[in-house]
Amino acid sequence: MTALPVASSKAVRRYARTVVLKHPKELAVALALQALTAACALVIPWLLGDLVQQVQSGVNRVTAMILLIFGFLLLQGATLWLANYYAAKLAEKVVAELREDFVRDVLRLPLSTVESAGVGDLVSRSTRDVDALTQAARTNVPSTLVTATTIVVLLGALLLVRWLMIIPCLLAIPLLWPNTRRYLSRSRDGYLRERASYAKATESLAETISGSRTVEALSLVSWRSLRLRDDIDVSYRAERYTLGLRSVFLPITDTAIAIPTVATVILGGYFYDRGWVSLAGVTAATLYTQQLASLIDVLLFNQDKIQVAGAAVARLRGVSESAEGTAGAHVDGPSPSHARVTAERSPRDLEIRNVNHGYVAHDVLHDVNLVVREGERLAIVGRSGAGKTTLGRLIAGIDPPRSGAVLLGAVPLTDIPRPELRAQIALVTQEYHVFDGSVRDNLLLAKPDAAESELRQCLEAVAAWDWASELGLDARLGPGAHEPTPAQAQQISLARLLLSDPHTLVLDEATSLLNPQLARDLERSLAAVKSGRTVISVAHRLHTAHDAQRVVVMEAGRIVEDGSHEDLLAARGTYAALWNSWHGVGASA
Amino acid sequence: MKPSYQSFVGLSPTSPDVSTPRRFMLRLAVGVRTPIALGVAYGILTMLARSFVPIVTGIAIDQGILKRDQRALLVWGAVMFGLVVFQAVTTTLQERCDFATNIGTSYRVMQLVGTRSAELGATLRKRVSTGEVVNLGIGDITPIGQALAATSRGLGGVAAIVGVAVIMLISAWQLALTVLIGVPALVWLLTRILTPVRRKQRAVRQRQGELAAVAVDIAGGLRVLRGIGGEEHYAQRFRDKSQSVRHASVEAAGLQARAAAARTILNGLFSTAVVWLGAHLVLSGELQVGQLVAFYGYAVFLATPLRWMTDSIEYLAQGQVSAERVSRFLALERDLPDGPAGRPAQERAELADPESGLVFPFGSFMGVACTLPDDVATLADRLGRYTESEVTLAAVPAAELSLANVRERVLVVGNDDYLFAGTLGDGLDPTGRAGTQGVMRAAEIASALDIIEALPGGLGGESQAAGRNFSGGERQRLRLLRALVADPDILVLLEPTSALDALTETSVAGRLRESRAGKTTVVFTTSPAVLGLADGVWYVEDGKAVASGAHSALLADERYKALVTREADTA
Repeated sequence: MTALPVASSKAVRRYARTVVLKHPKELAVALALQALTAACALVIPWLLGDLVQQVQSGVNRVTAMILLIFGFLLLQGATLWLANYYAAKLAEKVVAELREDFVRDVLRLPLSTVESAGVGDLVSRSTRDVDALTQAARTNVPSTLVTATTIVVLLGALLLVRWLMIIPCLLAIPLLWPNTRRYLSRSRDGYLRERASYAKATESLAETISGSRTVEALSLVSWRSLRLRDDIDVSYRAERYTLGLRSVFLPITDTAIAIPTVATVILGGYFYDRGWVSLAGVTAATLYTQQLASLIDVLLFNQDKIQVAGAAVARLRGVSESAEGTAGAHVDGPSPSHARVTAERSPRDLEIRNVNHGYVAHDVLHDVNLVVREGERLAIVGRSGAGKTTLGRLIAGIDPPRSGAVLLGAVPLTDIPRPELRAQIALVTQEYHVFDGSVRDNLLLAKPDAAESELRQCLEAVAAWDWASELGLDARLGPGAHEPTPAQAQQISLARLLLSDPHTLVLDEATSLLNPQLARDLERSLAAVKSGRTVISVAHRLHTAHDAQRVVVMEAGRIVEDGSHEDLLAARGTYAALWNSWHGVGASA
Repeated sequence: MKPSYQSFVGLSPTSPDVSTPRRFMLRLAVGVRTPIALGVAYGILTMLARSFVPIVTGIAIDQGILKRDQRALLVWGAVMFGLVVFQAVTTTLQERCDFATNIGTSYRVMQLVGTRSAELGATLRKRVSTGEVVNLGIGDITPIGQALAATSRGLGGVAAIVGVAVIMLISAWQLALTVLIGVPALVWLLTRILTPVRRKQRAVRQRQGELAAVAVDIAGGLRVLRGIGGEEHYAQRFRDKSQSVRHASVEAAGLQARAAAARTILNGLFSTAVVWLGAHLVLSGELQVGQLVAFYGYAVFLATPLRWMTDSIEYLAQGQVSAERVSRFLALERDLPDGPAGRPAQERAELADPESGLVFPFGSFMGVACTLPDDVATLADRLGRYTESEVTLAAVPAAELSLANVRERVLVVGNDDYLFAGTLGDGLDPTGRAGTQGVMRAAEIASALDIIEALPGGLGGESQAAGRNFSGGERQRLRLLRALVADPDILVLLEPTSALDALTETSVAGRLRESRAGKTTVVFTTSPAVLGLADGVWYVEDGKAVASGAHSALLADERYKALVTREADTA
């Protein structure tokens, strides 16, 4: 299993920078409000310092001071309200952009990439990672901004109180700096590993649920349970690793940030004794350093969450970058030789030229050459594993061939932008998926602006109107509501296909779940709905081949026979053998 | 020793008490009692250490600074530092305990959900959607773990508040009273303020979950979208939902910001009141300056244990909600109860369905040809006892038999059976009883040797979830292979060769018949290549067996002939 790509930390930083620069005004407003809040928060200890000095010298201006403090408190509350609100507003905007980009980019990823990564990876990215990020953007990032601003203002205030009092704060740095660096350099990988292993455990659980009937049929309860336990165990260990990192990092940090507090009291006492600072100065500085310690604590706590969010962003952006990479490849694709116009070819003719292709280690298709004329009804038959499905996917432009080219007219499919390509060539396989939503939602995916009459026409064409209208086009499908049978799901797929109305259809066992007679009628009507439509069918039911104008027989990744049903029967080759066997050995009437 | 989450969890893997969410939580808590107890102890210690810091600071100011006593200053400074280090260490220990409680419990619950899902088997999908259960296993495990781990922080918070109150009582009873009355009042007020915010946030989270479900839907449907080019429209649909979530979130954030402001003002008001009172006490000579600083420190510090307390109450409430959902799921029962006393099914039994009239003598290789595809599923569900019916095994109603036993004797294999991710060999022979040789033998029968050879790593190679890295025809042969490895007394196959080419179909059917000699095999199919090999064929119309006999004899029946012969009619 190849997991989906993960973006490098450099790419994540670049992305963070882009995000920051994209909303300069909102960010400036949020930051300014936070600085104001921080300033208000700091005036209070300063006033308290004065208060202490006054009561020490017996001056009673307590009520006035308290009223002043109260005033700043109200101001602080008001600015905090606005600061938090604007920060959250910006955060929500950014998070929405990120998750929308993520979904858009997943939709653009090469199918083989997603399929080899497994559903669990995708699911955990779109749930847990988006969640972690949302959480961080909503709370931790704004909080970090507030805290960082407060620390800067606080150090400034310390300088104002008496520049000498900043010395104790510097004592923390020799311990804090290397410790934090060490932690940050290791924690990213730890958190990434944590997320990946968690995704695996999630997938394990999802599989048990998807396959629950199989689990019961084969009595696999303990097998699945053990599998989940093993995956959880790996995930638990990954979490233990980051816990270990924190167990070293946190106590050292806590000690380090306490040094200034202690040093302020001791050094402050010394300075006071020497008459370098006032009592108010020492008091305010003590309060400030205490505050500083808790601020740094908050900062580091957030840093941890942001680190997690960073890992999440790396996983989300990894998908986007990979999708951008593919999109790029599509743009610079054509080599000049492909672009050369082939003589006397209709723009809707398909040509497969010298194609070699395979998914994993070895090629499944070898030197395949084939021309399909506009309006032709072609059947591809052959033994299982002969490469029919692979060829179908290449013809539909789902995967680009490893070598050679698939041309529509004179243009390689890889050069046609995907939406345009889909308007021309569509592929329907035996895999069906009914999207969460109604029959209507499912159909409109293919043509968002389809009229009611069109929907009805398409459903009628696939013999699904009766049950669909009885159920209601707007009734929700899926678990908990009406769960469509496999045959119904396949009908929905086909209706969707009709609605998108491409000039070329590739049907890969697209009717295998329907009863044979219905399947046969349907395939005929698909071609008949619009004359001039090219229909390429991959099917084991040889009716399809019999009804087609032309049959191509594949064997071990090569085309071995090519001709009409009658011609091929007369040739007594592979096709004839298949045909006879299809009728039952010797039972042919 | 490799740390493992199980070492923290003492619960037996089977059926914890789930009658009420509270009892369920308690059971889980018992499983992690050691880390909880230690966590509470460390939580109290760390909070007490923290609560001593301000008073020690005050003493350092009074004894050291004001009296200009360098020695006292150094001594009290050292005490301060000692407290801080002690607190740093105990906090870390507390975090480690919380981890064991939190993550240990979360994973335990995930395991329970997984095991229960497996136990519910075929019932599961009828009751709940995959998304819902996955959500339980992902979304609800965290709040439960957090709720249990929150006890250490909550009790630590209580300890700190008590400790501070005692210190204050010793220094100045007026201030102590203010704190003792003020703190609970503050907690009450803050909770009141936060309630509507939480409600709004919950609503947002709900919508966020729905949004995630749309994203999850993509994972399954990407192949379909790719085929018809619905990507753009789908992305648009997601964008619309995402934007509506965004607006709801901003609304919630507005409320939250207001609550945060209110909290700051209330906390500040409280600490200012303490200082105001303290300042008067200093003026009247009842309190020293350092103590006033200490009291201010407390008034600020108390916000932390207070938050710990309110947070843990909130975590407990959230955990309760999640525990409710999980325990409701864990309490689900299977549709089909075991027969009374769970009688074992007789070996070598004859299988019969009185409702349709189908009978399969033991050891026969039978074909069933149904005119309606829906009948296939209905009949198979009855024969395999996936629904209540009058089906009998050796003339004993299957409903009276132990379900596990029926599953062991009768295996129904359909085309939507799931192929699990993992190594191919493990998936084909999960129990390991057949061994590599047995698997390879079965592979030969199912014509699946080429699949194993083509997979990098062979039987040790990786099979993806739902067998996605195999073609439809390959998956069908792998399912058959797995069934042959399981080798049940009675094997019911639904259209097992529908995705195979005619030549492969013929050879698979022949070898299947041979290998199943001495056991019952029932094949639902309309393929003449398979039916021609059967000992006998049932012809089913509208759910009833209307004719039976040899394939060749049945061909005399026009309706049967129309169903099973693949003669090309003139189009």
